Order: sequence, then C-alpha cells, then structure tokens
Amino acid sequence: MPTGGRKQTSAGLSEVLVGLLEAGVDFILVGGLAAVIQGAPVTTMDVDIVHSQSPENIARLLAFLKSVEAVHRRFDDKLIELKEGDLLGKGHVLLATLIGPIDVLAVIEGGRSYEDLLEHTVDIDFRGHTLRVLDLKTLIELKKTSTDPKDKHRLPVLRETLRQLDEKYSRGEDKEDSEDE
Amino acid sequence: MSNETKVADESGVDKGLIAMFLRMSPEERLRANDDAFRTILELRDAYRRQKADERGLE
Repeated sequence: MPTGGRKQTSAGLSEVLVGLLEAGVDFILVGGLAAVIQGAPVTTMDVDIVHSQSPENIARLLAFLKSVEAVHRRFDDKLIELKEGDLLGKGHVLLATLIGPIDVLAVIEGGRSYEDLLEHTVDIDFRGHTLRVLDLKTLIELKKTSTDPKDKHRLPVLRETLRQLDEKYSRGEDKEDSEDE
Repeated sequence: MSNETKVADESGVDKGLIAMFLRMSPEERLRANDDAFRTILELRDAYRRQKADERGLE
C-alpha cells in the first residue's frame, strides 16, 4: 500500500475511528468499514468518511489529521502535507497517517454531502462514543452506480447481508444492531 | 472450508460467513477487520522482506 513513503504503526482502523471521535469531528463512516460494522464479511484497508464542511469541523478534522501526521497518499515517496484548503473542496482527499489510511470525502456518489446523507445513517455505540454509519441499504444504492470493480464484486455480498439482516429484524433477533437504529 | 460445506448462492456469496458475521456485535466485527488488516500488513511486510533477501542473494 502506498503510504507516501511513511511507515504506519501497527494500530488498526478502529484507532482511526476512535481518534476522529475523540477529536469531536462530525463525520459519517461510509465505504467498506461501514459495511463491515453492519455485518458484511469483507475486509477493508482504509477508513472512508464524509465530513461536515462547517468551518469549526474543518478545524477539528485538520487538527486531528495533523496530529497523526497525515500526508497525501501517493505512489511515490514524496511527502505532501495536508492543507486546510484540501478539506474545503468537493473532492476526495486520500491520506496516509501514522495510524492507518483515511479517505476524506467531501461528497460521494451523486454528489451527496454530509448533510444529504445524515438521514440515511445508523448510530452505533462505539467505545463510549456515537459513531454515525451510512446504512447498508443506502450503501448498496450508491454502489449500484459505481464503476469500481471492487464495488461491483462486493455488491452481492452486501445485498445478501441486508437480506439476512432484514430477516433477523423481522424475527426480533439481533437486538444490539436494531437498538442502534 | 470445503466447497461441499459452503452455503453459497449462484453468485458465489457465502451465506454462512454472512450469518456468522451477523451474530457478532459491531465492535467484534471491527475487531475482526482490524485483525485482518494487521495480518495483511504483516504478511505483505514478510513478503517484501523475503523478496529483498532473495535479491540480496542473487
């Protein structure tokens, strides 16, 4: 994995989430890790978030990313530091940090922003914090239009996970997950 | 797991693996991914070291 020439520690992706939550960053977890949390047996190597672009939140996010020495993820060993302006645009900022890779996305498929996605999230109680996660149904809807081969490959797994999850809910099982919704 | 014991549909989705993951809590699922993440990094590192050693021997 290209790390911008930087070696990361052996921390897991959970540590990235904890760091963001402890820093008070407003974000929605999307992508592979959002699917993992909701029960999809896939493995992912980065954390994808859609962040609120309010000035206060940009400041919190930037401070956190600086604290974990975030640099732009590149195929070569050049270290390009993150700047505030990178988080203000509408693009995807792919970063390497000391605790793991983070993709900071202003918008995702269909130009949907943090505010647009809020109503499609589930709240997960995670290590004393509330983690906002894009729900599986919306994840599937968004991935349907994706041209990424990885997304196409995962789609049947996500669909079957949602089917089994719906079945569990209708039987009144999986109390912990359903209480979070 | 052998092909005989896997419960997969026509698309090749392993339904049993999904059922197993759904029995876990969200925290347990994250931990499983973290473990996989660390293992993959460790194996990639070992692979790189092995390749570097091989090049050194040539």
